[in-house]
Amino acid sequence: MRGAWLVLKKELLELSKDRKTVFFTFALPLILYPLIFGVMGKMAMRDNAQRKSKPSKVCITDPGSALTPFLQADPKKFQIVPTPEGNLTKALRDKVVDLAIDVPATANEDLKAQKTLTVTATQNSAEDDSELALKRLKDLLKDKDKTWVDARLKALNASPDLATPSRVEVKNAADLALELGKGLGIWIPYILLIGMFTGVMNHGASMTAGERERGTLMSLLSTRIPRPQIAAGKLLALFVLGLVSALANVVGTAIGFNTLAGDIAKASAASGTQGSASILQMASPATLGLTLLLLIPVAMMMVAFILAVGIRARTQREAGTALMPGMFVIILLGVFSMAPGIEKMAVVPYLPIINASVAIREMFGQQFNAVHYALAFGINSLLAIGLTAMAAKTLNREDVLFKS
Amino acid sequence: MIQLRDVHKSFDVRDRKTRKKKRVDAVQGISLDVKPGEIYGLLGPNGAGKTTTLRMIAGLMKPDAGVIEVCGLDTRTKGEEVRGKLAYLATDMQVYERFTPREQLRIFGEMQGVDPATAERRGLHLLDRLGLSDFVDVKMTSFSTGQKQKVNIARALLHDPKAVIFDEPTTGLDVLTAKTVLDLLQVMKQEGRAVIVCTHAMPMAEDVCDRVGIIFDGKLHGDAAPKELLRSRNARSLDEVFFQLAAESETASA
Ligand SMILES: Nc1ncnc2c1ncn2[C@@H]1O[C@H](COP(=O)(O)OP(=O)(O)OP(=O)(O)O)[C@@H](O)[C@H]1O
Ligand SMILES: [Mg+2]
Repeated sequence: MRGAWLVLKKELLELSKDRKTVFFTFALPLILYPLIFGVMGKMAMRDNAQRKSKPSKVCITDPGSALTPFLQADPKKFQIVPTPEGNLTKALRDKVVDLAIDVPATANEDLKAQKTLTVTATQNSAEDDSELALKRLKDLLKDKDKTWVDARLKALNASPDLATPSRVEVKNAADLALELGKGLGIWIPYILLIGMFTGVMNHGASMTAGERERGTLMSLLSTRIPRPQIAAGKLLALFVLGLVSALANVVGTAIGFNTLAGDIAKASAASGTQGSASILQMASPATLGLTLLLLIPVAMMMVAFILAVGIRARTQREAGTALMPGMFVIILLGVFSMAPGIEKMAVVPYLPIINASVAIREMFGQQFNAVHYALAFGINSLLAIGLTAMAAKTLNREDVLFKS
Repeated sequence: MIQLRDVHKSFDVRDRKTRKKKRVDAVQGISLDVKPGEIYGLLGPNGAGKTTTLRMIAGLMKPDAGVIEVCGLDTRTKGEEVRGKLAYLATDMQVYERFTPREQLRIFGEMQGVDPATAERRGLHLLDRLGLSDFVDVKMTSFSTGQKQKVNIARALLHDPKAVIFDEPTTGLDVLTAKTVLDLLQVMKQEGRAVIVCTHAMPMAEDVCDRVGIIFDGKLHGDAAPKELLRSRNARSLDEVFFQLAAESETASA
């Protein structure tokens, strides 16, 4: 296998001379993903903070002035605007008002007569601002309810607890780290698949048709290294590149997610939800190790496919074109693997590549399934061996090597 | 040292217009024997089958029929060992432009089983002889055709090969550079290596080769010392022999 090792060395050495490609394949994901996720997180935070700092625009019909004074008392939360003329629905959609409140004229009498006061609120649930306005109104009424009930109970000489025969204390069991981990688990396979394929596609084309086009393939073939070893060396070089670019993509995503998770944790702490999240809580070393192991047969499949297709092309450009359908298939598989609920489909564990995505997703969601994992590893390994043998055979064919 | 016995090779090509498969009989029964310390000139018109013959000798293509042996090794079964003892320079071979000559020589030395230091020393010696020693550490992207060819030649000869097969080594070279290459061939001969060169430069073949063979219609004609061939065919130059063979081929097929 010494020959394969020498070919691998030559390929990596040749690649190292091409700084631009190295940068775009390996350094870019490390910079790009943290940037994207970081900006996303900061923007979401700022949007949230901005919305909360703004009062809601409400219009109110309140002939008896039962509620209006309370709203006016809290100008940080409510800004009373005149009732829009014409279509209220349209005004809500255009965000002229966030909420329209209708209080009956008999409100004060109703309250005194110990009847239920019914307030009608018209909102637009499609708008976050409107949702917030409604929440603020409900909070306000809840607060007032308590005073009103207490007053009524006092009038009856009853205990304040009369109104609360039972009470449920809620503790939220949703773990922020787990929730984010699930999200990451859906993203990671997609990024891995695409990152790996794009990372090696161009090098693959360059190592095969590119070498032919540049006229160096013949000199490599004229050495005493057996052809299967030349094929093995090239496959290995591509394989290494695939794993490295997959790693670069994962690390970039992880860093990005980590900052995003930090922001989300901070935001939720501010709103009272408990929870912290860091990438280490989302993905244990075992998860990362098993993910990497599962990637090996998938990477081998890709690499063998790229080599077999690449060597049949006359020029590097032609090889790139020939590999494009492969790229689309990978994107399709990636998108499919992100679809919610596919893990429930019975065939999924038997579908190559997708089964690996789902197994990875399960691990990140802390629902490791040994059978799914084993199936994914086994099926992809078998295919990888088959494809590798095919690629090696293609590289040994006279009519392919000496394409006229 | 290099022996061919009744070697045949044909290709299937597809005619894009008629969509029919066509059979091209590139080599139809060639036998020859090149001894150590001998330069053999393989001549013939374009498409005669010279390159195909050399590829088969290098074990890169398998003959359909016949046997080829280099240093007593069958190229069909011992391709790797044959390539370990043989220098092959083809017309479609280029240098690795991203490397410097020194880097490429080290890499190929290792691939041919020579330790990198020895490979470098031998390669640099060869480049010195070819007049390229000032450029050994320059990236080859900027090299001229001739400079690249010199690196190719050094690369091919790195591993002290017993047999040398060069396909049109002087094509694209100026007369001075061509002369250095021919001088190198003479050195190879004196060192006792068996050399085959393909060329379209007839005067050069007459000068340098101990024996020449002309492939015409896939068959070998001549196979004698240039002087002898001229005498037996009553011709003044190898060019004239070419014309005679072309005329014969036409009357044979008519
Ligand atoms: N890989 C191939 N596939 C199909 N046909 C081929 C292949 N290689 C060579 N041929 C055909 O075989 C014949 C001999 O080609 P070859 O390259 O050996 O000629 P040559 O003597 O080297 O010519 P030239 O002087 O032009 O280099 C030609 O007709 C060529 O088209
Ligand atoms: Mg030729």
